[in-house]
Amino acid sequence: MNPFASKEPNEGGRNLPKRTARRFGLTSGTGWVLVLSRPVKPMRKVGPKTSDPLLFRLLLRALSIPTTGPEISDRIVAFDSETLEREPVGKQSVVEEFLSLENRPAARIVEQLPAQANGILDPEAIDRLLIRVHCEMQRVSEEFQHGRRVAELLNSILEALRANHVSRPLRVVDIGCGTGFVIRWLAANSSLGGDVELIGADYHPALVEAATRLARVEKLSCRFVIGNAFRLAEPAAVYLSTGILHHFREDDLLELFKQHDRQSTCAFLHFDFHSSALAPFGSWLFHAVRMREPLAKHDGVLSAVRAYAPRELLLAARTGAPDFVSAIYGTKLWGLPIPRAFHSLVGMRPQYRNAFIANMGSKIGSLGVIE
Amino acid sequence: MIAFLLWLLATLDAGFTGYREAAGRNALINKRLYYRRAMIKGALFGQIAVGIAAVVILTSLTVTPDRQSLLRDYDQAGARMLIFYLPYAAVILVAFLVRWIPSVDIRSITSTTIFGPLTLIRPLVAVVGLVYGVLAAPRVATIVVGLIVLTMMLGLEKVLSLFRTASRYRHIPPRS
Repeated sequence: MNPFASKEPNEGGRNLPKRTARRFGLTSGTGWVLVLSRPVKPMRKVGPKTSDPLLFRLLLRALSIPTTGPEISDRIVAFDSETLEREPVGKQSVVEEFLSLENRPAARIVEQLPAQANGILDPEAIDRLLIRVHCEMQRVSEEFQHGRRVAELLNSILEALRANHVSRPLRVVDIGCGTGFVIRWLAANSSLGGDVELIGADYHPALVEAATRLARVEKLSCRFVIGNAFRLAEPAAVYLSTGILHHFREDDLLELFKQHDRQSTCAFLHFDFHSSALAPFGSWLFHAVRMREPLAKHDGVLSAVRAYAPRELLLAARTGAPDFVSAIYGTKLWGLPIPRAFHSLVGMRPQYRNAFIANMGSKIGSLGVIE
Repeated sequence: MIAFLLWLLATLDAGFTGYREAAGRNALINKRLYYRRAMIKGALFGQIAVGIAAVVILTSLTVTPDRQSLLRDYDQAGARMLIFYLPYAAVILVAFLVRWIPSVDIRSITSTTIFGPLTLIRPLVAVVGLVYGVLAAPRVATIVVGLIVLTMMLGLEKVLSLFRTASRYRHIPPRS
């Protein structure tokens, strides 16, 4: 079952380049690359609909808020789905793709990226750019306390696993960790306990290398690996992500949750932008004042536009991973009708639910129905 | 008193400009020292800007035939600038006090409602405050000093970036 089947049909992306691997680049969260071995599907337009209020649409246009996916970082890096080797990305094909989607700002940004004589985007320059973008994203993550935010929920999950005598170490794997901010923050603040193993996984070698180096400099007890988070030799007890869910469109989101359903997995915890009418404008404001790289500004704002509504995430999680109970945490601030900038999808095997709820303490009021 | 308050606000603003210029360029987790240095650097560069403004003001006072009148005009202009700048600074400082509360939500809300929007409108506040101040005593000297101060306020972050040497412009530590 496709939870998005009732939505508008695919639009745009008619001139997408034929590639053997679907690529997802670095996100406005902590960054990741996912490779799925099937042809690229046309992109669904995620922006404003004609049914949206006129003022909303006018504001989007006045602020040049991008409304059509994909994000630029989804397109400027590519890896072979099997060997994980980097594939060349033609600059002109990416520019044309964005033009076909009527996303001219994105096309202009890509046009400015350095390319080799044969028209292929310069991989080293792209890596440096993406590391700079990740540093800027980390600044926003720090300001919005992402590390602490993750630790608060993760601690309740880990306590539930301990109470149920799950074998140690409790391995937490960050899917698409990028430069590993969340994993490094958790390690630096030693907030999870000595029986927890922290691992970040990403397909992008340059980002994994950066994360490893950063962790080494600060002598942090965590590690980073190049590869698929779901295919590690030592599987995770808890899968974690920040800012990646909105990159998975339609069937890909279901596929992501299906991958969670493996014997060793006890729980998952995914943070992402909270979809609300205010989100694109709030995101625009922050990216305008905090980011320097045009790519970071574009992708960051588009991330908020593409964010899933809580019910969409829940439907996908419950459909894709039916053996888990799941809920959305933190959609409203203090129970008031004030949307949070970020919300989280939390899921676990049913046997851990009661202990988890008991561990939530006063935070339980922000948790939706977990079923 | 007016001159002291303007100097204090300029120093604070320059310190925060130093922070903003340094933010997003260092991916380490523990970087208090890095930010402290950035703020001190910003504040020191701010003193250079204040010094330039002071030299211009003193020069104008030296060459003017009516020193008392010009001094009074500077005073009036400064007092009116404070009407804009003091509340702006006060809101920022109160937000910092609120941010000390160890709550993810409260800290985030200070960003979404205060730090983000106020950073966005900072150039506007600078311009409006200055124009309002200069309008109290619109003469060549106050306008020139006003333009010099405005240029330095709005250009400080750029200058700090230019002074960031290539060797220190590292988003991640170098390979050992």
